[in-house]
Amino acid sequence: MDIVYSLEIGAVAAVAAILGSMLGLGGGVFLVPILTLFFGIDPKFAVGASAVVVVTNSVVGSTNHLRIRFTNPRLAMLLQIATAAGAIAGALYGVLADPRVIYIVFGAVLVYAAVSMVVRSERQVTAPPPGAPDSLQLGAAFRDPAIKEDVGYIPINVGWGMGVGVGAGVISGMLGVGGGVVMVPVMNLLMRVPVKAAVGTSTFMVGMTSVATAFVFYSRGFIDPTLVVPAIIGVFLGGQIGSRLTRRIKAQRLALLFALILLYLGLSLLLRAFGVEMPGQA
Amino acid sequence: MSEVLLNDEPESAQAMALGTAELAARTERLEPLYDAAVKTLFWGFRLGAALLALGIVAALVKREPLGREADPIADVIAMVRAGHASGIIDLAILWFMLTPVATVIVVAANFWRLGDRRYALLSLIVLAILGVSVTLALNR
Repeated sequence: MDIVYSLEIGAVAAVAAILGSMLGLGGGVFLVPILTLFFGIDPKFAVGASAVVVVTNSVVGSTNHLRIRFTNPRLAMLLQIATAAGAIAGALYGVLADPRVIYIVFGAVLVYAAVSMVVRSERQVTAPPPGAPDSLQLGAAFRDPAIKEDVGYIPINVGWGMGVGVGAGVISGMLGVGGGVVMVPVMNLLMRVPVKAAVGTSTFMVGMTSVATAFVFYSRGFIDPTLVVPAIIGVFLGGQIGSRLTRRIKAQRLALLFALILLYLGLSLLLRAFGVEMPGQA
Repeated sequence: MSEVLLNDEPESAQAMALGTAELAARTERLEPLYDAAVKTLFWGFRLGAALLALGIVAALVKREPLGREADPIADVIAMVRAGHASGIIDLAILWFMLTPVATVIVVAANFWRLGDRRYALLSLIVLAILGVSVTLALNR
């Protein structure tokens, strides 16, 4: 094992996880651009490593969300049909695609995330519409520790949610990110699922979506253990630090700084697609 | 999960509260499913982490360089049997990747046991989709 290289990758993965955890975006959003831009790693190996890392993160995170019933297993399984199928399609395209396509799509996603971070408007949805039909038996409830009350909800617009889920899966499969960036707002704003239940359900789903991606990248030999192992450890440790920092620092106060980082990484990837390298990049 | 309904609450508020109580009861009926999924994920992560630690220690002690590409699944067990650190690390990576798949099996089984055939079937569809991806990796 090359200890120095592993420590470098581990440290970078930890930083990616701290940033991702503070923003609720997951480590993959930062990990892939940093590995490709600053370490010169082939984007397909970076995406493969990210997918495995997202799986392990989801395994750890889901345990907590399931314990406190934030996860809705019925909703997760229904939406997962769409996202898993989308992820396989996205991954099959991703392993064959010209790296420039990955740079462009990833760059566009990061620029979108940066812009939406600045103009984000959070909408709290906490109650089920009275008398709302629930033919799919998707309604559920959880105990919200913040208000010490049960919060019930019945998801609506399920068909639209599944449709967007396919798109989220394709992006996840191509880029090795979890897809929570898309699914949490979709569940919250479109399907009227409370934020905590949306995050809990999404965290559970992200593991299954990324598994679909990871095995496709494994099948083409794009899983590099020298990258995956330090990344798993780094992201695990960084995630712990990030969640503690989030409790002390209001991430929203740093929104502009985070948005600038995302914008820089996104524009760098877009420029890389056209053969332009920013100073200091590999 | 319980709540007290006050008699002087407006009718619409009571309807909403009743809805929440029913939804809470419905969620509680899934308790065996939640417990089984938590156990699967918890032990899946623990065993994967133990395998990973074992592989890293073996690689450091034997000064064995890791490959830049994970070995095909069919070769991993043979590599582990031969005592290669890279085989143990590949197995750890696969273990992590298979943990959510195992969780889907557990969720499907529990939906079935609880009499929720519809979601048992939907979980099996998810499993079949993930199976496509696993099959691709097996045929590498």
